[in-house]
Amino acid sequence: MVALVVRRFFQLAFLLLGISFLVFASMYIAPGDPAAIIGGPTASESDVEAIRDNLGLNDPFLVQYGRYVSNAVQGDLGYSYQTSQPVWDAILVRFPNTLKLAIASMIVAVIIGIITGLVSALRQNSLLDVSATTFALAGISIPNFWLGAVLILIFSVNLQWLPVGGMSNPWYTLDGIKELILPAITLGTASAAIIARMARSSMLEVIQADYVRTARAKGVKESSVIWIHTLKNAMIPIITVIGLNFGFLLGGTIITEKVFAINGVGRLMIDAIAARDFPMVQGSVLLVAALFVFVNLIVDIIYTYIDPRISFD
Amino acid sequence: MTKHNKHWLVLLAFALVLILAACGGSTIPEDVVTEGDKGIDGEAATDTDQEIIYAATSDAVGLSPILTNDSVSSNVISQVYETLFVRNPETMEIEPKLAESYETPDDLTWVIELKEGIEFHDGTPFNAEAVKYTFDKLRDPATAAPRASLLEPVESVNVIDEKTVEIKTKYPYGPMLAALSHTNASIVSPTADQAQDLMQDPVGTGPFQFVSWTPGESVVLEDFGNYWDGAPELDKVTLRVVPEVSTAISMLQAGEVSFLDGLPSDQIDRIRSLENVEVTEQPGTPVYYMLFNFEKERFQDPELRKAMAAAMNRDVFVENLNGLGVRSDSIIGPKLFGYTEEADDAGQDYDPDLAQQLVEENGFGEEPIKMLVANRDNYMQMAEIAQAQLTEAGFNVEIETMEWGTFLDATSAGKYDVTFLGWSNVTGDGSELLYPNFHTDNVGASNRSAYSNPEFDELVDASRTTVDQEERRQYLVEANKLLLDENVAVVMNHGVVTAATADNVKGLKLDPNGQWSLENVTRE
Repeated sequence: MVALVVRRFFQLAFLLLGISFLVFASMYIAPGDPAAIIGGPTASESDVEAIRDNLGLNDPFLVQYGRYVSNAVQGDLGYSYQTSQPVWDAILVRFPNTLKLAIASMIVAVIIGIITGLVSALRQNSLLDVSATTFALAGISIPNFWLGAVLILIFSVNLQWLPVGGMSNPWYTLDGIKELILPAITLGTASAAIIARMARSSMLEVIQADYVRTARAKGVKESSVIWIHTLKNAMIPIITVIGLNFGFLLGGTIITEKVFAINGVGRLMIDAIAARDFPMVQGSVLLVAALFVFVNLIVDIIYTYIDPRISFD
Repeated sequence: MTKHNKHWLVLLAFALVLILAACGGSTIPEDVVTEGDKGIDGEAATDTDQEIIYAATSDAVGLSPILTNDSVSSNVISQVYETLFVRNPETMEIEPKLAESYETPDDLTWVIELKEGIEFHDGTPFNAEAVKYTFDKLRDPATAAPRASLLEPVESVNVIDEKTVEIKTKYPYGPMLAALSHTNASIVSPTADQAQDLMQDPVGTGPFQFVSWTPGESVVLEDFGNYWDGAPELDKVTLRVVPEVSTAISMLQAGEVSFLDGLPSDQIDRIRSLENVEVTEQPGTPVYYMLFNFEKERFQDPELRKAMAAAMNRDVFVENLNGLGVRSDSIIGPKLFGYTEEADDAGQDYDPDLAQQLVEENGFGEEPIKMLVANRDNYMQMAEIAQAQLTEAGFNVEIETMEWGTFLDATSAGKYDVTFLGWSNVTGDGSELLYPNFHTDNVGASNRSAYSNPEFDELVDASRTTVDQEERRQYLVEANKLLLDENVAVVMNHGVVTAATADNVKGLKLDPNGQWSLENVTRE
């Protein structure tokens, strides 16, 4: 497993270099001048030129990229063009919120998803199964911004049980938990639906396997058949889906963050793109890429636990 | 230890790292949240006594008046800092603020007497040195200030004595007082500017002083006890970033915020219907118009511009704004210096028959017209209505939408036929509208239509280089009339500035330029 981790870290280094080049190049080619955006429509030509000079935007592409990479390998991701704030600080302020939201949503998604998938697999074609499948379909189909707005209207404006938005209290306090509930449900529903579908099909496949029939024939208790022989073996594809979804959620969830006024990485990234704040876009994309690799590594390690036949040594 | 147990331990370690990262306050660098973590806590979120929570759709870019030029930053900056002069939002006349009085011994000299006994939030005395320091920094090319052009005509700033400052200009500069009342010309504490980054940690002379800023989340201010004009009633002001307008409205409804501004016309009916919410609407300085690209030969044809202007029924558009627009042909709007009532209907009237006739006679419908539109504010709505009306007259209009950054680039490069733009005009002075947007000096920059007319330039130059205000007004009236006669721009509407407050918020002063003052606000 140590070899796996070392290998992944090497892969990560090359991946980040490649991504940084792609992002840098695409932002360089994309229309939109950061200096003109900072200056605003009221700035004169000389104002904009002075800003451009100040940011080093008049240097050739390779000089700019080389400067970025040499600073980045020393841990300096640069300063935001817009706010002059260090990029790393801006990300660190927002990342805990994104992480809290991702974890809370995954908890909602995993609980709802696995239970729904399990129940509908065990009662295949029953009313319960049909309802669960319908729920899964609805979960995937309902857009986040609509669900979020409806939840806010019901639980925050009308019933006044939960706050409309924001995420500024520690998660272990009552206020912190209250802030998490609506966004976690909004975001978790779609993931729950995907997990439920995967859990259902994976369980159905395993449940018909010979060893399950053998276990039943040997008189093993039904609960043991399900929890030990079936669910555990059905978990590999489910874990894969959970891992992928978690990776996506860590990349920031622009719509949910916007609807619930959460100060997260997704919003940081989209605002930075709109403002052509190159260093900020770079920094956040690199973080998301690194996290994705990290989450996949964890998923791989979990595989070896669930299925002893899988080994990376 | 078995292999499985080892795996569990590794997993546990990863999980712990993740959870610690999520919850640990230590992950937030100390220097980002200055003076302790005073973000919105449970108590603040529910509006305490003398506190106001303002919801802004985006975060401030920075808190230095010298280095920013966006409206959210200006809203915070104007609570913390002050300018030498201000425009009275009711009379629209310019009055002294930090200045006591001024005189102009000759056309190139402004001698400004400053108020005494004023100090910055850090205890530094406000004096002529501070004014010189601020203006020199704003003008210094090394600063790369977004609005350095405000003081471009200034030759030198000299300290006469502790409370007298003299500004020498390269040429007579008419809008000097308007420029000095611009938020970007707010006076900063020289001591603080040398000791710290004012973008993160601002120090001014205003009624409120800075407490903390959590980027992307909130800015917190508190009352400045030693404020020279009497401490404000409010103890605390919080700007909370709420990017989604409908969420901000729900927050206002639920009492989580107490104040919104810039209300969108498509949500205004919902806000008006809310109980316990007071909506303020008043005519403002912004103007929105359709521009022609004069770099393209066909738009230099006055008949084409006349036909397009005649095809557009702007009353229909203004009606669609649900009361948040003022209809006037005049480019210099009713709240600006240089406006006259006669200009209201001095533009081309809506005349579909004339439009149709001109299109048919000249074959204007043959070549398609590319209408470039930024996908923000009301521009999309303007474009859709204009397209429908122009098509009816026989034009062939294609809409192309772009996001703001790309749009600014495309319009600067002249990659359009017609487009829609707006101008908020912080200073409320007509010169500050006509010079950047229509003067030959600014072709290739802020004059995006590339309109160039020596006669017009002369009038605008005269309005800028004449110190006598009545004379200036006349030049602006003439320049405005010239633009209307030539259909250089087709005004869609003049803005209405808006605010929605919890009904126990009293004393909010809304400026026609959209900015506001919380100095006299109380919670009842």
